[in-house]
Amino acid sequence: MLLLFFSLDIFLGSVSIRPSEVLSVFLGNADSNIETIIFKFRLPKAITAILVGIALSMSGLQMQTIFRNPMAGPYVLGVSSGASLGVAIVIMGFYSGIAPSDLMTFGNWVLTFAAWAGAGAVMLLIMAISARIKDVMTILIIGIMMASGLSAVVSIMQYFSSETMLKAYVVWTMGSLGNLSSGQLQVLAITVIVGTIFSIFLIKLLNAMQLGENYASSIGLNIRSARVLVFICSSILAGSVTAFCGPIGFIGIAIPHIVRNVFRTSDHKVLVPGSILAGGAVMALCDIISQLPGSESVIPVNSVTALIGIPVVIWIVIRNKRVSGLSDG
Amino acid sequence: MDRSKDKLLSVDSLIIGYGSKHLLPPLSAEALKGELVAVIGRNGIGKSTLLRTLMGLQPALGGKVMIDSKDLKELSRNEMARRIGYISTEIIRVSNMTVFDLVALGRYPHTNWIGQTDALSYTAVKDALEKTGLSGFETRYISSLSDGERQRAMIARILAQETDILIMDEPTAFLDIVSKFDIVKLMLNLASEGRTILFSTHDLNIAVNQAHRIWMMLDDGIAEGAPEDLVLDGSFDHLFKSGNIGFDKNDGTFSFKSELSDSIYVEGEGPSYHWTRKALARIGYSVTQVPADPYIISPSSKNRQWILSTSGKQHCFDKLYDLVRSLSTGERM
Repeated sequence: MLLLFFSLDIFLGSVSIRPSEVLSVFLGNADSNIETIIFKFRLPKAITAILVGIALSMSGLQMQTIFRNPMAGPYVLGVSSGASLGVAIVIMGFYSGIAPSDLMTFGNWVLTFAAWAGAGAVMLLIMAISARIKDVMTILIIGIMMASGLSAVVSIMQYFSSETMLKAYVVWTMGSLGNLSSGQLQVLAITVIVGTIFSIFLIKLLNAMQLGENYASSIGLNIRSARVLVFICSSILAGSVTAFCGPIGFIGIAIPHIVRNVFRTSDHKVLVPGSILAGGAVMALCDIISQLPGSESVIPVNSVTALIGIPVVIWIVIRNKRVSGLSDG
Repeated sequence: MDRSKDKLLSVDSLIIGYGSKHLLPPLSAEALKGELVAVIGRNGIGKSTLLRTLMGLQPALGGKVMIDSKDLKELSRNEMARRIGYISTEIIRVSNMTVFDLVALGRYPHTNWIGQTDALSYTAVKDALEKTGLSGFETRYISSLSDGERQRAMIARILAQETDILIMDEPTAFLDIVSKFDIVKLMLNLASEGRTILFSTHDLNIAVNQAHRIWMMLDDGIAEGAPEDLVLDGSFDHLFKSGNIGFDKNDGTFSFKSELSDSIYVEGEGPSYHWTRKALARIGYSVTQVPADPYIISPSSKNRQWILSTSGKQHCFDKLYDLVRSLSTGERM
């Protein structure tokens, strides 16, 4: 499925290219225009889509397990907004007068670290709140408020920043799957791969965390260090994506749910690889849809993920009414 | 008699509480291998806090918890998880979690980095399910279990953990009487296999009649011993602070201390005599041992009815209800 959508993502695009021509590009005998489109645009874009899908759905799965909250996800809880704020501070605070296109690889890492820090800070805040408030919906509302609040702070920063900085930031926010330079793609790929390998090592403790603090601790898990590890992993994944592609909604919350209900299991040995594959596949699909194959226009990928993700979220909310309270995933 | 070699779990001048707030004076008590120990005490005295402290889920503010002859503090989380299994009152709600997955989580301290269920773990899980009567429930989702089944699945989980000490916080709460006794019977079986089980309960009937040992938490510390010893030495009188509740040493039950207004004599035998006395005690009569007026003859082989005799007049009643009502309202039917 992942491979199917990945290839479809390469084959389909705003400029229609016949499949045979796409194949011939890979075989090394096609005209240079098509070759440019495939290698410079479609291939990186498809790879980005898959990395983004993997990172967001892994991050969402980890957050849902650690908060024992089915509504958790990088976007709804404001973690993506936290990452945006981190990026905004870097662009508008330090990089005065430098356009993002001029950022070197080093600059990309700075952006990434800023996004991680922003994401991590919001994660900590949500954790502190959910230690006191157990109600899933209340935390969700607080998360949404926090996301809006952070966006407001970013807007204020935009208002007071100089024209060049503002332009740099706006260009960044419009950044979608397709605007990554090869350097950025490299950074994204490294962080997502590291984060994914990291996630595989977290499988056992995520399974234990599902039982809640006391039980997890009674079967030999060190809660505090487990939390820190999952926090770091989740922030790296969500933060990296946000650093380069802007906040992308609903994939993080919806994919883990779809995987849970397709496989009907709570075992992370299935959920982690499932979310990786489904996340990549769905994001590639969203990318295909956003290009409106056959037409010349492109719609923002965020709109596509929202249209796919929101029904899932609504379904969880309705189902949760019946099981209100903790941790029905 | 030297029992120290059988001593599996003990607390020594243990201070429990939160922060700087000590809940009780230092506590000392012990539990031997193979014993079912009931922890009883009034609401809020700190039963759960004690159990949580034994589990290392919250720090001891002083004193020691000893497992065998080792201080709990010297054990790592993983070593501890191989010695003590724990069930709290918290209900686990994870959707799409099967009974097998839940029980297999008990293998956590024994499995490798990814938590793989190897042959050894698989056997342990199967055994645990069989012991708890849950064979065939492997693929059931825990959200579909009844309260009793869920509690048995929780117990299966700590059996799969293969610990020699089990700590359970109110394992029989919310269960109907059949499920309650299922669980108690299971606990007794598990104890007879050499495990030490410490459980808190508000069900004094179970504590007094089934436990091998009771840790009674009182405001001045723990009174421990066989249930019968605690009955005889009067410890049960201190269990509740309230002056309105009295413990009857003879039948081992608690009841309101009612103001005993009148005395009455009852003639009879067997269950009907016993329950007649109970009904009279409920409405505040003290039963005298010497024949007096008024008196009651409870049903026996000779008569099927209750006969109440006051000042030479006799009244017959088919039901205790009518007799009791007649005595308390003064109306004769």
